Amino acid sequence: MLAAFPAFAVVAAVAVIPILLGIWLSFTNYQPLSPSLRWAGLTNYDGIVRGPNALFAHTAILNTLIFVGGAIAVETILGVAIAVILARKFRGVLFFRAIFVIPLMVNGVASTVTWRSLFSTSNGWINYFLGAVGLGQPNWLGNGHLAMPTIIFIDAWAGVPIVAIIVMAGILMLPPDPMEAARIDGASAIGVFRHIVLPAIQPVLAFAVMFRLIDLFRQFAEFQLITGGGPGLTTTVLNFYVYQETFVNGDIGFGAALAVLLVVMMVIPLAILYRFTRRGV
Amino acid sequence: MAHAAPIVIPVRRQRLNRAARTKIINTCCIVVLVVGAAIILLPLFWLIETALKPPLEAYVMPPKFIFSPTTVNFSTLLQQQSDQFGQDLVHSLVVLAVSVALALVLGTPAGYALSRSRFRGSRTISVGLIAIYIAPALVYIVPLYVIYEKLGLTGSYLSLILYYETFEMPFVTFMMRGFFSDIPKELDDAARVDGCSRWLAFRRILLPLVLPGLSTVTVLIAIGSWGEYFGALIFSGPSTQTAPVDLAEYIGLNASNWGALAAGSVLLIVPVLILVVFFQRGYLRRLTSVSAA
Repeated sequence: MLAAFPAFAVVAAVAVIPILLGIWLSFTNYQPLSPSLRWAGLTNYDGIVRGPNALFAHTAILNTLIFVGGAIAVETILGVAIAVILARKFRGVLFFRAIFVIPLMVNGVASTVTWRSLFSTSNGWINYFLGAVGLGQPNWLGNGHLAMPTIIFIDAWAGVPIVAIIVMAGILMLPPDPMEAARIDGASAIGVFRHIVLPAIQPVLAFAVMFRLIDLFRQFAEFQLITGGGPGLTTTVLNFYVYQETFVNGDIGFGAALAVLLVVMMVIPLAILYRFTRRGV
Repeated sequence: MAHAAPIVIPVRRQRLNRAARTKIINTCCIVVLVVGAAIILLPLFWLIETALKPPLEAYVMPPKFIFSPTTVNFSTLLQQQSDQFGQDLVHSLVVLAVSVALALVLGTPAGYALSRSRFRGSRTISVGLIAIYIAPALVYIVPLYVIYEKLGLTGSYLSLILYYETFEMPFVTFMMRGFFSDIPKELDDAARVDGCSRWLAFRRILLPLVLPGLSTVTVLIAIGSWGEYFGALIFSGPSTQTAPVDLAEYIGLNASNWGALAAGSVLLIVPVLILVVFFQRGYLRRLTSVSAA
């Protein structure tokens, strides 16, 4: 066990201590610019519920749920559909598998700024091509109703392939006999998927969804670099709001309380999904 | 025999139907994949195209797909800009090299120790490592920001490297624990009987066996470190600014230089692709075995 000590010492120093400090900070009024540090009790948490910033906090919480919920739904459904196709045997399937791995390796900032340029209303390719075929040219990122769906689409560019590749690997690892037997007995493709493949890949699928959820709850660059939380507050999620409160406005205590809240929001779906990573739940 | 004929015919017809249906399904599958592949490749195509275009032509509508390629965007990015993207690439490399090396050197033995220990707490420690790994970045960034300010570390390499250990070290330790667990304990004992010290047995016998897993873990954390943005934005200073943070400045509200942006993106993406192609033998399989672990 001695060999584990240095690693645990580092983890304790860089992770465990900051977590504890963060929880403590959430009960203080700490602001780097004002020297008076004092215990604030539940003031910060109370501020989330009904303080002057409560409206912002509530909007950020709601937007986080909309973003995570919307993105996880899109990415799971499309990811599984594509995984099923990629797991089939046909000519050229290896080529497509290679293509779908690419987004896993592309730098997040690079793809984010690229999509922002593609969605630009004045010089973006997407609206140019939509116009060229006679369709409308919406203001993707400037319209309050479209900004969040557009961000979810941009996230899904990387998210769908991640789910697809993990689930595809899960399907490829299944023994082929039960599926073939069911097909010979006349089961439809959907029936085979629903009653044989889906129960068998449940642990892998649950893992893939957890993996995405963890990422979605920490998504920041897409909001800071594409919409800046706007228009209005329509894309202000917790990560971005805490960034603003903590590092732009300097209210560390309030930011720390929101960070604690973010963890609580994450734990619930992850705990539920974790049960599904075990077979036969 | 009189009964045989009516049975044979419907079966045959059904087979034909099934073949026809399979063909339709296959066509639909191909269509879905082609659309998906097009969406995946669109931003990459735009990036390469824009990086090689003369800067002003990037904004021309309709897009000019025929142009004389130029390297001016790369030279602008690397030489003429005041904030020097080239130096920021070096900063990114330094942070990547040191943080990944630290995580591997300390995390691998820790994973080994965890895989071989029988004491009760080892399972709790594994769960704790996962929890630390999956906690959102904010949980560390906010308090570390306070600590770094107090210690005067903000803007230093150390501040970034230590922050990166919050996800690299638990990941390496946990993954390597899994890979070492796959190796039977008898192998350790055999080496010890033959007179190997514990360290020698670890280095000479066990480490080579987990090398495929170790290389996958290395690639994964290297990609993570290379692309990290949130922490780098908060902690890096002028002399340690990483490339993604620099790149983001090209699309600020008052400045937008798509040519430089695209050139920088290409420089960030290409090394990763090379790295992965280099490790490609079984990369996908290993990536998924990691995810199934």
